[in-house]
Amino acid sequence: MCHCQKPWGRVLPKEYLVGIDVGGTFTDILCLEVNSQKLLEAKVPSLPGRQWEGVLNALIELGINAEEISAFVHGTTIATNALLEKKGAKTALITTKGFRDTLEIGRTRRLTGGLFDIKFVRPSPLVERNLRIEVPERTSAYGTILNEIEDYDFVKLGSLLERSGVESVAVCFVNSYANAQNEKKAVSSLKKELELPVCYSAGIVPEQGEFHRFSSCVLNAYLTPVVRKYLSTLKIELQGRGVDSPVNIMGSNGGAMTLEQAGDFAVGTFLSGPVGGVGGAVRVCEMTDVKDSITFDMGGTSTDVALIHNRRPRISYDNQIDAFPLQVPQLDIHTIGAGGGSIAWVQEDGTLEVGPHSAGALPGPACYGRGGIQPTISDANLILGRLPIKRKLSGGLELNKGASEAAFAQLSKKLQGADITSLADGVLRIAVAKMAGAVREVSVHRGFDPRDFALLGFGGAGPMHVFLVAEELAVPTVIVPRYPGHLSAMGQLLADQRQDMVLSWGGRLENLSGGDLLSRIEVMEKESEALLSGNGFALDRQRHEFSVDMRYTGQSFTLAVPIEKKKMTWDSLRRGFGERHEQTFGHQDSSNECEIVNLRLVSRGLVDKPVLTFSEKNDKNPIIESRKIWFDGAWVECSILDRELMAAESTFVGPAIIEEAGGTTVVPPKWKVSVHLSGTLFCENPFKKI
Amino acid sequence: MKNIVQLELIRESLVAVVNEMRANIIHSSYAAIIYEGHDFSCALMSADGRQIAQGLADHPIHIFAVPYSTRKVVEVFGEDIHEGDLFLHNDPYTGGTHLNDVLLLQPIFYDDKLSMFAAMRCHWNDVGGMTPGSLSGRVKEIYQEGIRIAPTKISQRGTLNEGMVELLFNNMRGREERLGDFNAMLGTGRKAEEHIGRLFNRFGGQSLLDGIEELIFRSEKLMRSKIKSCPDGEYFAEGYCESDGSNPEPLIVKLKLMLKGDSITADFSGTSKQTNGPTNCGPAMAFNAVGTIVKAFLDPYTPINHGSFNPITVNAPEGSFINAREPAPCGGMAEVKFLIDSVVASAMGQIVPEMAVGDLKGGANHVHIAGPRLNGSTYIHYEWPAGGTGASKGIDGGNAVRSYNEGDFNSIQSVETVEKQYPLRVEACEIREGSCGDGEYRGGFGLRRDIRILNQSAMLSVLSEKNVIPPYGVFGGGNGAANRFIVLRKGKTTLPSDVPGKVSGFQLLKDDVVREETAGGGGYGDPLDRATELVHLDVKHEYLNKNQAEKRYGVIFNETGSVNQDATIHKRSKIKEQRVILKIQMDNNQIHDGARRVFLINRENAKMLGVSEGGLIEIIGVSCAPLRGWIKFDENAEYIVVGTDGGSLLNLVNGDLVEIRPVVSLPETVG
Repeated sequence: MCHCQKPWGRVLPKEYLVGIDVGGTFTDILCLEVNSQKLLEAKVPSLPGRQWEGVLNALIELGINAEEISAFVHGTTIATNALLEKKGAKTALITTKGFRDTLEIGRTRRLTGGLFDIKFVRPSPLVERNLRIEVPERTSAYGTILNEIEDYDFVKLGSLLERSGVESVAVCFVNSYANAQNEKKAVSSLKKELELPVCYSAGIVPEQGEFHRFSSCVLNAYLTPVVRKYLSTLKIELQGRGVDSPVNIMGSNGGAMTLEQAGDFAVGTFLSGPVGGVGGAVRVCEMTDVKDSITFDMGGTSTDVALIHNRRPRISYDNQIDAFPLQVPQLDIHTIGAGGGSIAWVQEDGTLEVGPHSAGALPGPACYGRGGIQPTISDANLILGRLPIKRKLSGGLELNKGASEAAFAQLSKKLQGADITSLADGVLRIAVAKMAGAVREVSVHRGFDPRDFALLGFGGAGPMHVFLVAEELAVPTVIVPRYPGHLSAMGQLLADQRQDMVLSWGGRLENLSGGDLLSRIEVMEKESEALLSGNGFALDRQRHEFSVDMRYTGQSFTLAVPIEKKKMTWDSLRRGFGERHEQTFGHQDSSNECEIVNLRLVSRGLVDKPVLTFSEKNDKNPIIESRKIWFDGAWVECSILDRELMAAESTFVGPAIIEEAGGTTVVPPKWKVSVHLSGTLFCENPFKKI
Repeated sequence: MKNIVQLELIRESLVAVVNEMRANIIHSSYAAIIYEGHDFSCALMSADGRQIAQGLADHPIHIFAVPYSTRKVVEVFGEDIHEGDLFLHNDPYTGGTHLNDVLLLQPIFYDDKLSMFAAMRCHWNDVGGMTPGSLSGRVKEIYQEGIRIAPTKISQRGTLNEGMVELLFNNMRGREERLGDFNAMLGTGRKAEEHIGRLFNRFGGQSLLDGIEELIFRSEKLMRSKIKSCPDGEYFAEGYCESDGSNPEPLIVKLKLMLKGDSITADFSGTSKQTNGPTNCGPAMAFNAVGTIVKAFLDPYTPINHGSFNPITVNAPEGSFINAREPAPCGGMAEVKFLIDSVVASAMGQIVPEMAVGDLKGGANHVHIAGPRLNGSTYIHYEWPAGGTGASKGIDGGNAVRSYNEGDFNSIQSVETVEKQYPLRVEACEIREGSCGDGEYRGGFGLRRDIRILNQSAMLSVLSEKNVIPPYGVFGGGNGAANRFIVLRKGKTTLPSDVPGKVSGFQLLKDDVVREETAGGGGYGDPLDRATELVHLDVKHEYLNKNQAEKRYGVIFNETGSVNQDATIHKRSKIKEQRVILKIQMDNNQIHDGARRVFLINRENAKMLGVSEGGLIEIIGVSCAPLRGWIKFDENAEYIVVGTDGGSLLNLVNGDLVEIRPVVSLPETVG
């Protein structure tokens, strides 16, 4: 635990909150001076393999005084990259006799594609088979130790692991969710023998289901050395530059964690990057008094969407990274391979398809003029007049429309010479359908109707496409925040600390005692309180929320039902669950008994969140240009607005294009737009619900 | 232009409907086999019963049969199909699979006209019959397998036929669970109807239906062009079902696959008659198998719809075990369907050699363990463990995983779930080392699972194929290990049945261990051509031991553990010399014993093969799968005599030299 921190929430004379978001191409830094509400931003190239150096460069680029930084929150892709490039640690698995192949057999599913595919190859487990070592131990499903592990020769095992060059160890025993005694004993015995990171499955996911638990634990072991090395380098370098504020890392659960926590829970940083945007979106919702929204964060290669209900992003406990199950709480962010660089192509049966292949940052879309010749979504937007050709984009890029047209002419040839303008329009519509599918995935598949939500567009390409997605889904409102290209970093610098805890406990309601439940959640709360207090959060800066995972007896899937310690009764719980079930699955079954499977606690350490006003009333003319844009099958004369100049509380009706550093907003005809004091655009869909 | 974009939008939207149906079923069903095992599928059908859309996880075995059921519903009810009606069906003889797979069809109307069906087929854990779980290897008639539902209107204009519902659920074990699953299907149908209603509004009813026709047309056009690119010809293949459960005699599937121009005809004449054991299936399955395999070999990557099937004609003789009539039991339909798959794959591998693939683990491998709980109620644990998949050019098979002809679902339950729910303890669930079919590319490994009985008693039922006749290799690749289901009683192997793989209600005692060992996938190419580094890796990873590497791959290791290249070259040439090579003679007088192909062979050659009379051998040709048969001693036999059909399978002519070798059902015991 870190002892050198300033208490959160204290206001200094000049106080910078810093958010740094490391992406595949660029490292984004955003810095908020709390008192003056000035935002500073910079973008520097990311340095693959040396992410921390990019972070330092970004800090230097900004030129602020290191001592005036009061909080530093960082979103990193270090874990994701290490997994995708298979550059994690050489990992050993210590497991119950008879179960060394749990990772390999799983539940016999492929977990990725493969139907009709004779040449399908399932991704190999992260631990080589000869490093999956069985030990004689056993616990029953009800937590009885059937076979103690005391007598096992860990000295011999330790030296074997050492000889094999193992860098990290995962201890995963069957039924350890019911009693982790053997796992814990194995960990402490191993730690006596080895100077290596050792984690155990019940410490990562204390829940039933050996495949998912083992997989999560092994992912954690595999990533721990990489993540720890990165974090310690970062810490030393930052301290070397005089940054003495606490450094926090964004966790997949949407909250910040300390460096020490991140080092012990590497697997909790997979979504460190994308969660920032969702957090930023929550702040936007708070500032603009919106309760329910769906985020639409579109970049160059992919689009992330997430559902925010009652200003809370939804959490998912059943995740998969690549073909590896991961059962730790993550924001329920759904990613699809459709971004500005997604390539349009003709399938074997002569139909048109967009993505998932992307031109990426290099060569990039044809219009970047960096050697790309494939037609992409960005090229389609350029052909339709939605991107500027005269002005440079941020980053100094000037777009080449001729190259886009040439790329689409090639595509057109494969489709009996279709007109390239309508072809570009079609490509866009197919991409939009896919993105709408992603929105349906996080809403309809989870029992929500997207028409009850506002769609919040951000990221480099989000504001350009979000209106089309809203039209496709009949979503009534679109929101575009100020600085849409930096919302992720904004979410980071205003992130609360967050801690998730779960206890596998329950049974049929009729067999449970309320007192028992209460005493268990008290213990959880005390533990969590101590952790947050240790991180500098006074009790009045802490929030603890409980929920229970419930299902009808006989079902497998659970739904989370929030509980309030003082008001809860079994009946209210039954009712709450029934309603949630009906909403999600279309029916409830009041005659069936329900049961509790897990108790969950989400604890947050609150940080101060200033009210941001990025817009003021003025009478400047925001229109800087007018040009012809393709909308709904025709070229339409359209005003181009500079977002810097737009007055608070002004309104206008589309079509319009709004340009700012790091993002272009394309408002289709008839949409009604009003500018909120926070600089946020509120846009009303003119088309009726379908 | 507008149309081409609209077409893609329609395709995306339809698959989205199916995926949402899937999510809904998983989340709201009651039986573990559905929500955890995912033994269900969803699809959309046209009003006349052609397939419109399915998802990547939906199982062809379920879905490709739905057109039959749908057409039957349309045939039976004709004009009498209205909004709010729902149809239930599981009858194998009119397009069902086995009785456990219950189909719910939700008709969908546009402009008061029937325009589509949403289809959900879910495996119900029990549909009545003589054993818990309804599937048994030893049934004689379909009536012992549960209740048979011909196309039935279960809901009339929005009103559920309560009498019918009562009748059904009064005849099944686990009433609450059945009802829960039934409700999940009803809810899913409603959601699908709503969703499609929105698509009608959005695209316009007629435009949506026209778009669907265009998509089907394009799939057909693509499939026809693929078929046309293959050489015209007739290709022969055969395969055995090893037992109908009571009779140890095998049954044969014979196939003549005819390619002409842009169409394919599959003629199954010569296939064995239906039996009174569970290894039969209804008329949908042969077509289902040909459709699955042709799609995989010729057009694996474009989304599937009925157009891909239009160029295919199938003739499966009525009354044969692949097109059975009442009262033939059909519980083992998956075993039969996978057998047809493997026969069709053997023929397709001759046509498209670069896609040729080692045979798969057999059928579903149904395993039921049922018994009393301490409180007197009955539990049923059901799983159907996967095996290794076949190797193909450039690729080793996968270990204990779903194969290319199956949807993506779990087939074993989580150990911790099993132990929490049932009085059972899973003592091992591991790779079955050494079980691969050898080859330049080797087949995948099967799995081994040990389950201990904790209460006083229980019953074991197994319904499985390829326990005696193991999966074949291709282009000289070895066969995978056969499936094996045994009981360990006080540490000693006990056979739960005299017919391997067909067990009905075997009485288990406390502390018995049920051991499931699943088949390895067939290999591809000569094992002696396998790169020595790959064999080295398999040894390092302990999939093979050093003895197996030496005996089966000819790879010798130094004391340091590295490959001894010189010794390996020497060993490999020695193994080659010891192979039994005979001259082939084509003759129309191929001897048969019942369904069995019989090869006459002299004692000396038999001794070299290490096979006694009645043993199973295979002849390695130059074209895909081997030709298998049983040997009979004949001292005068100099040549190996095969019928012209067999010669065609092997792609050989009179006088060619061929390798003969024994079929070893437990390769892991070699070395």
